[in-house]
Amino acid sequence: MEGIDSAVYQALLTRKYLTRKIMPMLAMVAVMLSVATILVTWSVMGGFLATLIQSGRTLVGDVAIVWPNVGFGYYDELIEDLEADPMIEAATPTIETFGMIRLPDDRIELISIKGVDPESYSRVTGFADTLWWKPIDEPTPKDHEREDLRLQADDLKTEGGIDLEQVLENGLAMSRLNPSSGEVEPAGVLGIEVTGLNERTAWGGYYPWGANRALPDGGIAYDHVFMPETGSVVLTVLSLDSDGRPVDPKSITMPIANEFQSGLYEVDQGTIMIPLEVLQRNLRMDEARKVRFEKDTDDPFATVYDPATGTVRPKMKEVVGIDPARVTTVLVKKAEGVELETMRERVREIYAQFASRHEGQVPIAANMSRQIKTWEDLNRTMISAVKKETGLVLFIFGIVSFTTVFLVLAIFWSMASEKTKDIGILRALGASTPGIAWLWIRYGAVIGIVGSSIGTVLGYWIVSNINAIHDWIGKTFKLVIWDPRQYYFIEIPSDVDPQKAIIVFVVGVMTCVLGALLPAWHSARMDPVKALRFE
Amino acid sequence: MGSATSTQHCESAATGGSSSILSVRDVRKTYKLGRVKVPVLHGVDLDVQRSEWVTILGASGSGKSTLLHLMGGLDRPDKREGQRGSIMFEGNDLARQGKRALDRYRADDIGFVFQFYHLLPELSVLQNVCVGSMILHGRLGYMSKRSATQQRATELLERFGLGHRLKHRPAELSGGERQRVAIARALINEPKVLLADEPTGNLDMKTGASILDAMIEYRENAGLTMVMVTHDERIAARADRVIRLVDGRVVEASSGDSQPVS
Repeated sequence: MEGIDSAVYQALLTRKYLTRKIMPMLAMVAVMLSVATILVTWSVMGGFLATLIQSGRTLVGDVAIVWPNVGFGYYDELIEDLEADPMIEAATPTIETFGMIRLPDDRIELISIKGVDPESYSRVTGFADTLWWKPIDEPTPKDHEREDLRLQADDLKTEGGIDLEQVLENGLAMSRLNPSSGEVEPAGVLGIEVTGLNERTAWGGYYPWGANRALPDGGIAYDHVFMPETGSVVLTVLSLDSDGRPVDPKSITMPIANEFQSGLYEVDQGTIMIPLEVLQRNLRMDEARKVRFEKDTDDPFATVYDPATGTVRPKMKEVVGIDPARVTTVLVKKAEGVELETMRERVREIYAQFASRHEGQVPIAANMSRQIKTWEDLNRTMISAVKKETGLVLFIFGIVSFTTVFLVLAIFWSMASEKTKDIGILRALGASTPGIAWLWIRYGAVIGIVGSSIGTVLGYWIVSNINAIHDWIGKTFKLVIWDPRQYYFIEIPSDVDPQKAIIVFVVGVMTCVLGALLPAWHSARMDPVKALRFE
Repeated sequence: MGSATSTQHCESAATGGSSSILSVRDVRKTYKLGRVKVPVLHGVDLDVQRSEWVTILGASGSGKSTLLHLMGGLDRPDKREGQRGSIMFEGNDLARQGKRALDRYRADDIGFVFQFYHLLPELSVLQNVCVGSMILHGRLGYMSKRSATQQRATELLERFGLGHRLKHRPAELSGGERQRVAIARALINEPKVLLADEPTGNLDMKTGASILDAMIEYRENAGLTMVMVTHDERIAARADRVIRLVDGRVVEASSGDSQPVS
């Protein structure tokens, strides 16, 4: 006897209903579009998130040991310990602080200043890759006319004297030749968006622009500035004493060696990197002679005349020591294949051993434990914001797509009503109520599978060709949705995660089955006698 | 020909009728039309002997189709004071059977023929005939019997003069041809009882007569029990026995030659 597992007539009728009716085709199209839309949205938003996360990771390594403001000493020893561990590939000291920057057009802005050791910083982070001004062979994906200056490095060298090879080297070494003195000076690497003198182009690159300066007489002076060639900025930092209190502001004129683009607008618009020792010196975090006065235990009753006060006071013994150079952060890069959390634990252990050797000189391990952060912790706010946005967009599209359930329900209800007599006939021939219900559920599942399959393939195709499609829309309808001048990524992300595709496919099928449930239940409960009399 | 009995005789046959294949006792049925209750059958008693052709004759609305549906397990009789009438088929009371048993009964023991053919419009003639076998045997059963079923369906259709129409759809057939397909469908599982509800009611006289001839010929050859609902006295006259149903009650049973037996 037939049942829900034995369904030759169901298979036959499903096939016939599918091929002979327009309504199931409409349901299939609805499912297809819904599945394709969700897949495209999820893939593109997921692509943004992945790119953003990758960008956020670029300049912070894997794990950071952070003791802000006053920083901590003996970091060279800590780095030696860290690099001796097989889980750790490299480590680098940095200082992170805030200051003021005066730009070539005399604007003064707040800026995040990073003191880095360029050589070790490049080993730990993707710093070298972020340097923008360098010769390149391949244009950006949207630079169809090969307008990028970096492609014309040889011509620039001949015509304007700008040597991009040298600019790259300068950036990597954080130094620049001073033509007047003939000396190589420490130089900074500026976020590409900081000055506002680099115009973001439609092909996703930059074109150096001039600076308009307001003059005291009310006029405007125009200076053509290519920062890595002649540009410099003035940084003002506030040094702190060992208790973290501000001591005195210091201004540093810093030539610019190169500019970087990390992929995070917030970073590129508000960060400058300068050599570590320069920042240490100006923040008074470099190695210093330390003088401490103690009671003279050899002659406790000795006195001395103090010419400053004109009084006699007890004689103190002068103890001279060395205050080690300090940094606020040590960035660590994990070895290949090591889990992030595992490495964080290992870094904690190494720091605990280090702290025990320097008791009273560096923050204790218990306090530092929470300050040892992964790159995910450091970017948590940004990542969670984008994740939430992705979730929100998906939720909205999900709700919109949920209407497919009702569309399928409406179509199936209509079909089930139209097929009332067929149901009566099948019941008269001995079909069971579960068998009738299964007929419709199976029908919904088939529509779901076919619609979702086509939708998944369509979505995959759209995502894979989204940039070409976007370019075509732009050319044909003059409609540019994705403009690199407004957005930070040159191209729309175009990778489809197979796992997401499977989830969207399954949800598409479930949507149809869900939409078919009510009509199936209704049909199964139909009185066969009434069904046979249905006109 | 079957024996002529009165209603009382029917009752006695129910108690001791060992040859009854279907036995209906005190069956009542009321339909609800909105809030209004419309009684259709008022305690019907009826016996159908094995291989007998019984015709239920009655005017429109007399309850004959309802009785046929009850006998076919498509519906259940009403309860009265906690008691439900009985419809015995080979000793089993259909009124007390579960849904699955009734499904099985309709698929295996009963063949239905309707006035308006009730073919599935999307299926071909051959598929329409085979669908009953698909339902009865399920996937595995049908797959193993598929060629035998199709062969039987083809034979039945050839027997009814439709051998050349196997792949046609119902919409491409005449009324008479459709009804022949419906009869072939009803017979595909070799049922014990054929229940026909006005099988010629929608056909012209000549076509109706030929359909009836085909059914009679098959019945005589196969020894099939047949219960036919009609309001046509001429058709009734050809049956073994005629039951007259008036306002939901059996008022008269007579022999097929229309001679009432008192």
